[in-house]
Amino acid sequence: MAVALSLSVTSVANAESLLARRDGVTRLQFGSEFCESLLPAPAQLRQMLTLAEANGLAFSLATPICSDHSVTRLRKLLVHLPPQSEVVANDWGMLHMLHADFPGLTPVAGRLICKQIKDPRLPSAQWATLYPHGVHGAPFVAMLRRFGVGRVEMDVAPYAAAEDLHSPQLRVSAHTPWGFSVKGRACRIGSLHLADADKFAIAGKCRRECLDYVAPMTRDGRDELPTVQRGNALFYRHNEAMTAALNDAVGAGYVDRMIFAGDWPGERP
Amino acid sequence: MRIVTPISAAEEVAPLAAAGADEFYCGIVPKDWTERFQSSGVNRRIFGNFSDYGALAAAIAAAHAAQARISLVMNAQHYTEDHVAALLKIAERFAEIGGDALIVGDIGLLSTLAEQGLPLRLHVSSLLTCRNSEAVRLYRDLGAARVILPRDVTLSEIATMARAVPEIELEAFVLNDGCVFEEGSCHSIHLPPKLGGPICLDTYDPAYARSDGAPLSDAEAARLKANDEAYRRFLWHRFSRGFTVSEDGYPFGPCGLCALPAFARAGLAAIKIAGREGRLERKLKSVELVRTIRDIVVGGAPEAEVLSHARGMRGAPCADGYMCYYRETAPPS
Repeated sequence: MAVALSLSVTSVANAESLLARRDGVTRLQFGSEFCESLLPAPAQLRQMLTLAEANGLAFSLATPICSDHSVTRLRKLLVHLPPQSEVVANDWGMLHMLHADFPGLTPVAGRLICKQIKDPRLPSAQWATLYPHGVHGAPFVAMLRRFGVGRVEMDVAPYAAAEDLHSPQLRVSAHTPWGFSVKGRACRIGSLHLADADKFAIAGKCRRECLDYVAPMTRDGRDELPTVQRGNALFYRHNEAMTAALNDAVGAGYVDRMIFAGDWPGERP
Repeated sequence: MRIVTPISAAEEVAPLAAAGADEFYCGIVPKDWTERFQSSGVNRRIFGNFSDYGALAAAIAAAHAAQARISLVMNAQHYTEDHVAALLKIAERFAEIGGDALIVGDIGLLSTLAEQGLPLRLHVSSLLTCRNSEAVRLYRDLGAARVILPRDVTLSEIATMARAVPEIELEAFVLNDGCVFEEGSCHSIHLPPKLGGPICLDTYDPAYARSDGAPLSDAEAARLKANDEAYRRFLWHRFSRGFTVSEDGYPFGPCGLCALPAFARAGLAAIKIAGREGRLERKLKSVELVRTIRDIVVGGAPEAEVLSHARGMRGAPCADGYMCYYRETAPPS
């Protein structure tokens, strides 16, 4: 079982100590899946590459959905990656670009494009079965193959079974212990410093308040999966059944890499 | 710029065409689909769909009689392999009865449809979150004739994509229905109201904490509280000012009318009115609103005149900018 530690720009300064606190890490996954504003600077990327090399770790760069402006920034990051480094793409345009312009890198399909219903509010498993996902289906896999993708990243959905993580044709990484449900571009916490008229606009000026605050969310006192808004996305924490499903999937060989959230408040190893 | 308008019944086509609609889009949930899959998940909407091909054929005939094209949506968040096979049958049937285009929200389905060579245009749904020129090129290469951009793009980003890949049509949202999260990154269900409804409108109560574990200062708590109050106002505007209309019956809510001059400069092919589930009256007023401003733009009026008309049609509610799809065009505060 490969173990990746996922870190964002907030952890560059203390990445070494975070790594030291978790046993068995084989890969450093650095970057942002959810926001262009959290793409690292080239110097931060080089620092994390050095750390990975010093610790004998493989390296993945996580990337978000990108505007053309961010594509330009991303291109300047990709040239720093050693050959065969993984790039986790959450944007079909990024897979297109990687295939065409960076054939020496290894593309991975991120959890934003590996779509499945992951609504932390679902009251029963029956709801989950109404909308089965197609991540392992032939049409979706064929598209991934077109871009040389051999690995997908998935969340463990509420009410998931181990089989939901079983791909006959692709290798599967699973994020743990937080899954993501929805993501926006109009950022609530990112509007904290803005005048009212400028709040909740897309591509607004960002001061990365998402790195300073988290918002555990409850609704009407219901006893549901722990749910947290962090930055522009809503996340849920695995419950015992979901953890068991993931362990079963690992035991069955369906999942060969776990990606641990490395810099979540309260989740630091 | 062609005005693309939602319908949910064949009878809506003629009055909407008369009001100025240039194209139509609709959904169908055939009975055999619900019997087989036990869900209505042919597309993103549970309601506002046709249920039989006879009515759909009548809508197609009415659209063609009005010299308008009609598209069928296949824009659920995702599809299984079995879904894709069933959707191919629906697509074939749609082509047989004279349909013009499919709006496709799943890349595997898009590729599969392109391989079939059906006499249907393929339009990329906003569900595929096309936000950069690389993605536009990909969809062009897959055989799409048009990309419907997501709601969350800037005018500058639109212009960049349009310049980079001019050979494919672009369509942008212009009115109604404001997802707060990006449609293509929304992995939730629009639950029934008693279970919470759409997740962006649910009654979530945030309990902010600092990531470093330190307690919030009084000043921080006050700023967070003020920000949340503004967020609730934003949601209220985003969802049609509490699901209301102006005195003249024009819908409130997300609007891109002031962006039409920029759309025209970028060469956009089409502008989209959302809201298949809405009543005919709402659709008519939406088309009337958009057509009025579109015609002023096409007529070559100066931009200041366009903005004045656009902001004047529904009065003061424009002033705070929270209804703007494209906030760059918001009135100065």
